[in-house]
Amino acid sequence: MKSRLGLALLVCAGLALAGQVLAPLVAEPWRQRREREPALRLEPGVAAAGQGVTLALLGGFRALVADAAWIQMYARWERRDLAGTEAFARLVTTVDPRPVYFWLNAARILAYDFPAWRIEAAGGYDAVPAAVQRAVNEAQAAAALELLGAARQRHPDSVDLWVEEANIHLNRRGDPLAAAAAYREAWARPRAPFYVARLRAEVLRRAGKRAEALAWLREIHPALPEADLGAGAELVLQRIRELEAELGVPAGDVYRPDR
Amino acid sequence: MEAAAPVPAVAPALETRGLVKDFPVGLREVKLRAVDHLDLSVPAGVIYGLLGPNGSGKSTTIKALLGLVAPSAGECRIFGRPSGEVAARRDVGYLPEAPYFYRHLTGRELVGFYGRMCGLGRRELAERVETVVAQVGMTGAADRAVETYSKGMLQRIGLAQALVHDPRLLILDEPTAGVDPVGSAAMADLIRGLRDAGKTVLLTSHLLGQMEALCDRVAILDRGRLVAEGTVAELAGGTGRQQLEVDRLDEAQMTELRAWLAVRGRGLHGVAAAGRGLDAVFLERVGRVKGEGKEL
Amino acid sequence: MKGAPFSFLRLGLVAQNTLREAVRQRLLHLFLGLALALVLGARSLRDFNFGAPELKFIADCGFGAMTLFGSALTIAATAQLFFSEIENRTALTLLAKPVWRAEFLLGKLVGVALLTALFCALLTGLLAAVLWVREGELMALDPEGFRGGRAVSYAMVALGGWLQWLRLVVLAAFTLLVASFARTQVFAVVCGFGVLVICHLQHLAQEAYTRAGSAVGVALGGLFGGMFPNFQVLSLADSLAAADLPAPGTMVRLTAYGLGWALAAGLLAVLSFRRREI
Repeated sequence: MKSRLGLALLVCAGLALAGQVLAPLVAEPWRQRREREPALRLEPGVAAAGQGVTLALLGGFRALVADAAWIQMYARWERRDLAGTEAFARLVTTVDPRPVYFWLNAARILAYDFPAWRIEAAGGYDAVPAAVQRAVNEAQAAAALELLGAARQRHPDSVDLWVEEANIHLNRRGDPLAAAAAYREAWARPRAPFYVARLRAEVLRRAGKRAEALAWLREIHPALPEADLGAGAELVLQRIRELEAELGVPAGDVYRPDR
Repeated sequence: MEAAAPVPAVAPALETRGLVKDFPVGLREVKLRAVDHLDLSVPAGVIYGLLGPNGSGKSTTIKALLGLVAPSAGECRIFGRPSGEVAARRDVGYLPEAPYFYRHLTGRELVGFYGRMCGLGRRELAERVETVVAQVGMTGAADRAVETYSKGMLQRIGLAQALVHDPRLLILDEPTAGVDPVGSAAMADLIRGLRDAGKTVLLTSHLLGQMEALCDRVAILDRGRLVAEGTVAELAGGTGRQQLEVDRLDEAQMTELRAWLAVRGRGLHGVAAAGRGLDAVFLERVGRVKGEGKEL
Repeated sequence: MKGAPFSFLRLGLVAQNTLREAVRQRLLHLFLGLALALVLGARSLRDFNFGAPELKFIADCGFGAMTLFGSALTIAATAQLFFSEIENRTALTLLAKPVWRAEFLLGKLVGVALLTALFCALLTGLLAAVLWVREGELMALDPEGFRGGRAVSYAMVALGGWLQWLRLVVLAAFTLLVASFARTQVFAVVCGFGVLVICHLQHLAQEAYTRAGSAVGVALGGLFGGMFPNFQVLSLADSLAAADLPAPGTMVRLTAYGLGWALAAGLLAVLSFRRREI
């Protein structure tokens, strides 16, 4: 018995020593990862997600579990089960917050599908008063925007999340100025596509903020590569000229590309 | 001052001094003594039999000699080297009881594997494998998978793997257990040949007749203790009587013989018909002659 | 008389023999077949019309198969390959040769490591092929969705396979550690699965250790947190949607971490096995 106990203690001591020696190797990568992924922390929200999280963590299958939960969410989406769809959508983003795809589509479902379902469940677009419809749209848009805000904690450099926010402000809330602010944030992210900057200008212009639109286009034009047709440098210059004409900018103050 | 004891020119092939082995049994680890202060010395170049009933400590002694179990007390040496040292096993070839080998290997691959494990180089290995496979009469079956072998073939390929690295000492645990008389006879011839080539062979077996015919010296263990040790003649002889083999005598001749012996103070203690023995009849009838070592 | 120093050649021979024995076993064929079926079955996800994200789902099926069946194979094979030597007494014959017990045990570990490498390589290769084909199909159907070129990072797929292999090697080493003193194969298998669970939750134990108020909590958290590796840190690439490809320095650290734990558990197994009576 003594020799077995001695061996057990020796093995435990050996493992503990190995733990002390090896842990510093991965301390920094692990710290960064824990910050990005709430599912890896002892947070109340994680515990509330219930058995899905436990299962995912236990087996190291969280990506697969999240995928399976997403497919289940779709099953509920097809049945227009609002509560079930939202529950699974939130479970998925908690279990595996890494794919932007989950956040984007969950936000779209909240912002676009849920209002339609709620209004139809209340009698349809003809029966439900416009004010009520606006309130429903606003509430669901707010829920979607909150979700996108949470997503940006995990994906601070994602262009798609800001673009989606802009779309919701524009299409669901009818707030072009908020959409323009979101497009500006999207443009500030690394590797943002050129169309995002052009969209901001267009939204400002349609909102009657032509001077702001002109200032924005003058600001971004120097950064647009002429050789890249997708950058639309020519198109942007054309828009600048149009706005200068609409605003009556004196000839001496027109924009001169520094090429 | 006393003169120092003379150092033997050649260390014994195997030696145990005060060997004790206890096994803990049960939750409270009560000690079960398997070997009890065993002092054994196996000289080099002999066939040495280790006898004893089941549970007498033979297998435990062998395992202690091979370093497979650690002695609770005492020591074991192989050619003067502590048996716990890995290097000591360079000089040992071991055939376990009822051997079981890697089924997926052929006989040749198996012997080659163990040869490489014993440190043989590739060139030397190929030659040694062919030599020992032929020596045990397995050339024809060497390219078959071990899982297709009969019991006798397993014993012989087992002996081959024990011989491949040309050890000075062979430990054979029940080498003829479950083997038919023909194979058993062939094995006995092999063992004699190994002794004649200068190797030391330690044998265990329950076939006392075979051990009597084969062994130069034997030790008898009982309950972990050495109870007898010596040559077969020393242990089994010494009755003060002789056995003579004569042509058949009729009743009158028998009476005359008894009278002649009585005059000289001798007695006639037994009369029996002299036969060839069942093993000789068996070997003759199945078409093989004892001692030729023909392949099965 | 020559000595018998530790020999990597003998260790390699044991490993080679272990691998040869393992690839003949139905256990490997079963788990490999199930894993391949799961990867190929992921093709049915096309019915959901996810578009480009379908590729993520396929990859997750592949990595999930590697984790699930790879873990089961590793634990079962390690225990079986070790205990078969003890029960069949082939270990007896082998250890009666001038072979170190360390060579035997570490040879077993290396043999299982080679087996799991074969498993992971096959599945990673198949997964990459399935992704490549499906990505090509999706690119033809929806060119706009792939305007930036191929979306799948095959380097990440390969990385995922490598990290998975590291986890399995560590798991094999811990299973062997248990087997070195266990009396039955079943016990070793059960403990192996226990280690798998603990290693996935090890980071929570570490956190509990730092937060716990009671001495018992601190002790338990520290015990489990410090004595087992963190498998979650070796799952950086188990999803295509994971972070950007880790820096080479990070990969070197992760590899050192995994192999370091495997070596530590392996050496402790040798320490334990030295006292085992065959």
